[in-house]
Amino acid sequence: MNAQAKRAPVAAAVLSILVAAAILWPLVAFDGPWPRELGAYLESRGLEESGARNLVSAIYLGYRAYDTLGETIVLLVAVSGAIGMIAAAGTTLAIDYSYPAKDGAVDGGEAEKPIRRKAKKNRTDLIEVVTGKLGPVVLLFGFYVMLFGHVSPGGGFQGGVVVASGIVFLALGSKGKPGGGLSSASTLAKLEAAGFAALIAGGFLGLASGTGFFAPPLAGTSPLGFIIALNTVIGLKVGAGIGFLCVAMLGEADYD
Amino acid sequence: MIEVLLICILALCLYTVESKDLLFGTIALSAISLLSALLFYLLKAPDVAITEAAVGAGVSTVVYVWAIKATERKDIS
Repeated sequence: MNAQAKRAPVAAAVLSILVAAAILWPLVAFDGPWPRELGAYLESRGLEESGARNLVSAIYLGYRAYDTLGETIVLLVAVSGAIGMIAAAGTTLAIDYSYPAKDGAVDGGEAEKPIRRKAKKNRTDLIEVVTGKLGPVVLLFGFYVMLFGHVSPGGGFQGGVVVASGIVFLALGSKGKPGGGLSSASTLAKLEAAGFAALIAGGFLGLASGTGFFAPPLAGTSPLGFIIALNTVIGLKVGAGIGFLCVAMLGEADYD
Repeated sequence: MIEVLLICILALCLYTVESKDLLFGTIALSAISLLSALLFYLLKAPDVAITEAAVGAGVSTVVYVWAIKATERKDIS
């Protein structure tokens, strides 16, 4: 058993190297020409066709918004899974728990005495003041990154995670009565669901107008408005989702 | 500059894996994210840099720290 336990890390390392080699092998073995047509096309025409000034946003919402749907689904599944695990554990995480009084009962002595950790003590005045004051500023920056994704670096995902950081700051900085306003778990859950519904509805909009699933509706005109709308919706969904996860881990969710 | 950043990231990765205290490892992970964000910015990918800084240095550190706080800080074995 012991020898087996010692061999396990070596086996894991060998397995990882083999898998990495199998994945990287095609890159090394075949040196055919790298496909460049699409990249060149997007570089020369992308900004003009989409009307955006940030090529990254122009591509990921103007040309391949369908992939973006997949990315948001991955995030949704990850958040749902984590929330499900937290809820199934049947406990809120950041509670002030005490250990059963069994000091010395297991193989003896003071060394076994558990270190008591008080979760409530995490909230010092310093953290509350700094996060409470910084939260709205971070939130504002997040909304800026989200709404100006077509002009400056950023976009829905980037702005969304900054918004989530702002929500976490607000949740940490709310004195005494946490979980109010934007940092309440039920509000965030509803916001995430609404954002995802709006994203899918936006996808079907193109289907209804005949341009295709997740293609900008109103063929012929600039898809800039569609890009801004999708950025906003994705930002709200991502921000609310990750914020919800963090607030739930803080131990103030009511899971309903 | 890029090589220096990559070496720093590698050193911090090794420290993260080897550090005995989970909290130290988490802070090192956060530093890795910060350096990666700088690296992405130098490589002219500001979009990725924003994501890396917000997710890696911000949200995931918060999640890790809370998870560590919810467990016993004691080595069993």
